[in-house]
Amino acid sequence: MNRTGLAMIVSLPVLAGLLGILMTNGSSTKTGNTHPKSDGSGVNGDAPQRPLMVYCGASNRAVMEAIKTDYENETGSTLEIQYGPSQTLLSSIEVSRLGDLYLPADDSYLRMAHEKGLIKEQLMIGRQQGVVAVKKGNPKSIRSFNDLLQDDLRLVQANPDSAAIGNITRQVLQKQGLWEKLDSATIAYRATVTEVANDILIGAADAGLVYDAMLHTYPDLEYVELSELSDASSAIGIGVVSVTKQPQRALHFARYVSARDRGRKRYNEYGFRTKDGDEWADVPELTFFAGSMLRPAVEDTITEFEQRERVRVSRVYNGCGILVAQMKAGQHPDAYFACDTEFMQQVTDLFPEPVAVSLNELVILVQKGNPQGIRTLRDLAKKGLRVGIGHEKQCAMGWLTQRMLKEDGIQEEVMENVTVQTPTGDMLVNQLRTGSLDAAVVYLSNAAGSVEVLDAIRIHGLSCSVATQPFAVAEDSRYRSLAGRLFEKICSAASREDFLAEGFRWQKSDTPVTADRN
Amino acid sequence: MASPDNELAAADLPKTSSADGIPLRRRSDVPFFLVTGGISSSFVLLIVLLLMADLVFISPGSFRTALLKPEIQAAFRLTLVSCSVAAILSVWVATPLGYLLSRFRFPGRWLLDTLVDIPIVIPPLVLGLSLLILFHLKIGSWELEAWLRDKVGFPVTYRWPAVVLAQFSVACAFAVRTMRVTFDQINPRAEEVARTLGCSRGQAFVRVALPQAGRGMIAAGTIAWARALGEFGPILVFAGATRMRTEVLSTSVFLELSIGSLDAAVAVSLLMVAMAVVVLLILRILGTGLTA
Repeated sequence: MNRTGLAMIVSLPVLAGLLGILMTNGSSTKTGNTHPKSDGSGVNGDAPQRPLMVYCGASNRAVMEAIKTDYENETGSTLEIQYGPSQTLLSSIEVSRLGDLYLPADDSYLRMAHEKGLIKEQLMIGRQQGVVAVKKGNPKSIRSFNDLLQDDLRLVQANPDSAAIGNITRQVLQKQGLWEKLDSATIAYRATVTEVANDILIGAADAGLVYDAMLHTYPDLEYVELSELSDASSAIGIGVVSVTKQPQRALHFARYVSARDRGRKRYNEYGFRTKDGDEWADVPELTFFAGSMLRPAVEDTITEFEQRERVRVSRVYNGCGILVAQMKAGQHPDAYFACDTEFMQQVTDLFPEPVAVSLNELVILVQKGNPQGIRTLRDLAKKGLRVGIGHEKQCAMGWLTQRMLKEDGIQEEVMENVTVQTPTGDMLVNQLRTGSLDAAVVYLSNAAGSVEVLDAIRIHGLSCSVATQPFAVAEDSRYRSLAGRLFEKICSAASREDFLAEGFRWQKSDTPVTADRN
Repeated sequence: MASPDNELAAADLPKTSSADGIPLRRRSDVPFFLVTGGISSSFVLLIVLLLMADLVFISPGSFRTALLKPEIQAAFRLTLVSCSVAAILSVWVATPLGYLLSRFRFPGRWLLDTLVDIPIVIPPLVLGLSLLILFHLKIGSWELEAWLRDKVGFPVTYRWPAVVLAQFSVACAFAVRTMRVTFDQINPRAEEVARTLGCSRGQAFVRVALPQAGRGMIAAGTIAWARALGEFGPILVFAGATRMRTEVLSTSVFLELSIGSLDAAVAVSLLMVAMAVVVLLILRILGTGLTA
């Protein structure tokens, strides 16, 4: 046989050998965690698990490698981190529909991913500030914005159309009317912010606009902060990929990365600006106070939230007056969903940023067919009528009822007929059903489950007959971010349907609210 | 025996005589060598200067530190093996394909000829994206990647097979081009003679064409290996850059560059240069043995 033919035949076993090497290496690295954390309380109980796959912007590699080591050591879970340009990673998620988490270079990519429906939960980690990068010692003595406009200064920027820092710089400077000047002073636009920093490092440029955090890995560069760029900052966060097959584990790692005493701490060490952030807990437990009337509207949502996040939510449902008294006595829940703004205002020191979510109107509930012929509030003053209302001190419902009666000028007359005052509307509904009451003033949502045996009569002409339910996350909560996600879940479309089905009206606009102020 | 044309050409050459003993003919060649040598050396000089600049830029210590990193070592091993697999596969595919394109005229040949060039002309990132789309394209409820992963137990995306496939897609196109030129330069008469002597087409290919194509196959393997080594875009998109798993040296350079580790990026680049030189030398020696 000729040598060429022989060489080709010999190449076959060589090829087989090389493929064998690749397969051996592949199988040794692809297996996931098989040694779950011994306490078993975490998310590692279901063996065998596939490693979590994280798409991570290449600029975060240094800090992410440190966090990866910490996480693997602490939990025994395995992470596979795929680094690359944020936009390329986004396209990969879109096409492959694989992976668990996405951590891009800045939040603009998270917004893009969210708009495309590629990610669900977003957990913020920190911020990075737009600054001017220069060589160590600032040889060109750049101190102010005007110094950037000098003729002998070689200024480079990241492209405003492709890089977040370029885009935000343009936005901020355009508002101040300074963009044109900086644009004409720029000698080159680079595709990425990393190229800008590398240009300065190599000496191809004297100054460039970059994020401060990235300079942590550039010991030969330093930065100058300019007041004109004070608004040019971007957040950094991690998003849970919508198609993940293991949302609990994905969220477990996302919580780890954003925890102030874990990943966020690392981010701070690597030059990012971080504040707040949740405390780390393998399975955190939220305490949630809510007015009793909200229970049917939120219960399913909270259960789903617990399952998806693998966290615990301890619910306390009661009359809001009682809840407020408990809080004033020293109990501090992580989140509070009040029946009315009045009972939120009493604890504004604990909950400074409430958001109105829903509305619930007070109605007069009577026996089916309305045998007593009750049409208005005044009819409740009829002789011999047995009326039930909420307790004015214990619940918002009672407080509002009193206000309503006062406004209508019939408080004294009606109170003569009041035989019972309870802390929750449900109790009044039960008493009506047993026949011990002829009428009760309750929320429309209280009547939702008794449509077969009771009739609801609307109260017209009194603006105070409608209660507004605000939600707030406690200022001092250890899990503000987690409670914020619970709030987002409560504001989701599915939850909204639950509220409407229970007789509530929807109040909240679609503006996203975040409790995390990294 | 010289042809009449050659005899005429020889008669037209200037006669040799010179005071200092240098033949006139050689003296007249000096401008030629100066121009060609000058042009050639400018390119060679550029390469040498590039390498020198890299060497000056990094300290030996940082070079050693970079190369001792376990992830760089893993990338080195994966690069070496995957490039070799891609190159061998490329030669195996390119040899028959180059032969077909060179020897036969058939309907759609121009289309085939154009198609094999596509991986060369399309942007690398697009090739990676196309591979990714191909493996994740839903046909009804069927998906290639899901089938390979769940039924065959051989996941491709973001695994080493994706690295090899991405490298092969580009490398093979270059190998096909090389093999086609190789067969174009081999006179088909010898194969035709072999067939008149009773060889089948297959026998003529294996016994006559293939032995003459040995040098071309080495060249095809060399160029395929080199292309696979430098491949970056398709790997990044299709195989990702997961440390210790799908990270090859070209992606290491990118990853180091993206966090400002220029030292490490240059060190890995120089490692790639060294690797390429060694492998190309080995292939050249093999080629010499093959065609001796």
